[in-house]
Amino acid sequence: MTVAPDAEHNAAPPRESSPETPLGLSDEQLAQPDFKIINKSAIITRRFFRNKTAVVGLVIFILMGLFGLFGGFISRWDTNTIDPLWMATGPSAEHWFGTTSAGTDLYAQAVEGVRTSMAIGLIVGGLTVLISAMYGCAMAYFGGKIDAVMLFILETMIMVPNILIVAIVINGNAGKQIREALPGWLILTIVLLIFNWMYDARVIRSMSMSLIQRDYVKAARYMGVGSMKIVWRHLIPNIGSLLVLNFTRGITAAILSEVAFTFIGIGVKYPNYSLGSLIAQASSQINTLPWMFWIPMILFFLLVAPLSMMNDGLRDAFDPTSLSVGKAKKKNKKGRAKK
Amino acid sequence: MARYLLKRIVTYLVMIFLVTTAGYFLAVKTMNPALLEQERIPRPTDEQIQQNFASLGLDPQMSAWDRYVQWLSNIVLHWDWGRSPNGAYINSEFGQRIWVSTRLFLAAVILSLIIGVILGVISAARQYKVSDRLITGYSYLVYIIPAPIGYFLVQLGAVAINQMAGERIFYVTGISSPGVAPGWPTVVDMAAHYLVPTFCITIMSWGGYQIAQRQYLLDNVNADFVRTARAKGLTRNQAISRHALRVSFIPVAQSIAFTIPSIFAGGFFAEAIFAWPGIGLWSLEAIGKQDVNAATATLAYGAVLFAVGAIIADIATTIVDPRVRIQ
Repeated sequence: MTVAPDAEHNAAPPRESSPETPLGLSDEQLAQPDFKIINKSAIITRRFFRNKTAVVGLVIFILMGLFGLFGGFISRWDTNTIDPLWMATGPSAEHWFGTTSAGTDLYAQAVEGVRTSMAIGLIVGGLTVLISAMYGCAMAYFGGKIDAVMLFILETMIMVPNILIVAIVINGNAGKQIREALPGWLILTIVLLIFNWMYDARVIRSMSMSLIQRDYVKAARYMGVGSMKIVWRHLIPNIGSLLVLNFTRGITAAILSEVAFTFIGIGVKYPNYSLGSLIAQASSQINTLPWMFWIPMILFFLLVAPLSMMNDGLRDAFDPTSLSVGKAKKKNKKGRAKK
Repeated sequence: MARYLLKRIVTYLVMIFLVTTAGYFLAVKTMNPALLEQERIPRPTDEQIQQNFASLGLDPQMSAWDRYVQWLSNIVLHWDWGRSPNGAYINSEFGQRIWVSTRLFLAAVILSLIIGVILGVISAARQYKVSDRLITGYSYLVYIIPAPIGYFLVQLGAVAINQMAGERIFYVTGISSPGVAPGWPTVVDMAAHYLVPTFCITIMSWGGYQIAQRQYLLDNVNADFVRTARAKGLTRNQAISRHALRVSFIPVAQSIAFTIPSIFAGGFFAEAIFAWPGIGLWSLEAIGKQDVNAATATLAYGAVLFAVGAIIADIATTIVDPRVRIQ
């Protein structure tokens, strides 16, 4: 049952574009379907790669990841070595992204910055999806008193202005042992993780609540299907596109928060570098050393923009009711916009 | 209605209490102003520091629980939120700044809501036309610009305009100029200082409302009741404004509460960038100086703002949505 809708969906030509209908076929032909059953991950990949913007976004994002991981190996300079001959110079053959006013190499710092920002984004984005999905589904599934208590905890946590928590933890003097044990970016990651999942969990709760009322879930329950299986077979695929969107949006939000917090001085601090700290250190010298500001800004946009480019493609790929199949593209555009 | 609101208010008060308590313990556990005190010249002895802090009610040798009880009873009995390590009273420091911040938030929240909803309606009514693409594209662009960097760029732009004009048109830092005559000139001066920060927060925060309003309105534009209205002879714009708009505003109204935290944070960034002596700038400085009471007071303020936003959202929902019958 679970495979059939997908296979039919993908292989059967969309309504108007095909003149043939199954009605004209003989019983024999019906018994041996003339379409191949494609498994789900293949459908998802195929749908995703159909969206060119999304593919471009994915490629840029992967390139940025490679830059952050391996960009350091092709440069001779490290982040904190001072080059007295090249202080405050623009991009050149020696220092590809130029140097800071102290004479350190901006390229090496940018590599570390991209790596840090990306790590914060991926960790926070990924784990936030997991936590919010589990919490939201649990609220919807158990309902009643448990739901009320969990909702109370959730709303209490939404109330907390997380900028203050970040400031307290990063600046706290007695927290020095923590800061020596963990680098600044990891502390920021943990705080963002604790205070970022609530919004998603609320949405997932209301979506799963309406899904649990559906007939097919009820039918599965009466048939004696286990609850884990119901969640896996019926809930997860239906909220799957939302979860994937939450993942990319979560990455964006985490990278943005890091840059914003660090910019006003409560995030990543020297000797660690992130895109936020690079932009912040350059902001006082934007008129004299413009490359120090604009290069990290461009890298930042190259990191964030691909994520929003991928959003649309990912949503279509993971949505089981998605209409994006092959040629009926014009029609889909309208259908998609309505959502 | 009144009973329901009362119940909500009590729930929010409990939440605010929990948030503040948790925040107090976090602050007490991680902050230690005595360490900063040792960097002063001449360096005070340990006894002096101890005595000084004990007289301020910040005794570092007391257990966290005892300090909490002392702090809480002062608030409950005297509405006294404690003192800073430098001896200042939180109440008076807070009282001066709270209006600066609240006025800034209030103007920005109202402006961004109104502009966002109007632009959302316009872009939904002209779906896929040039105006829609511009408006919605702008909202998505703002979404990927970190707030402080947006403010910073606008500030640079204002400075550039000032330099080109050769005179000071925009005030990019501070809240008022010194030595302005009281009365009307003060009002004008204050408005001039408000202009750039309010402008910044507004242009950076209407995007969320615009996208939401556009999406919900598009969901409703083709609904049966709108088609019925068209069939009765209303023009498309009349049908949208009289029938579709009201329904699609409900989810936007419900989201008001949840945008308050981001605008609150936006206010922090704006105050830090524009050097405004509001709650945000003050509390960040205070936290840098290991000020437990100031940090907790700001935390409570943020939680109260959220609760107020949530209650306003509840009221707004009942006003626009006649189907909501609150028991």
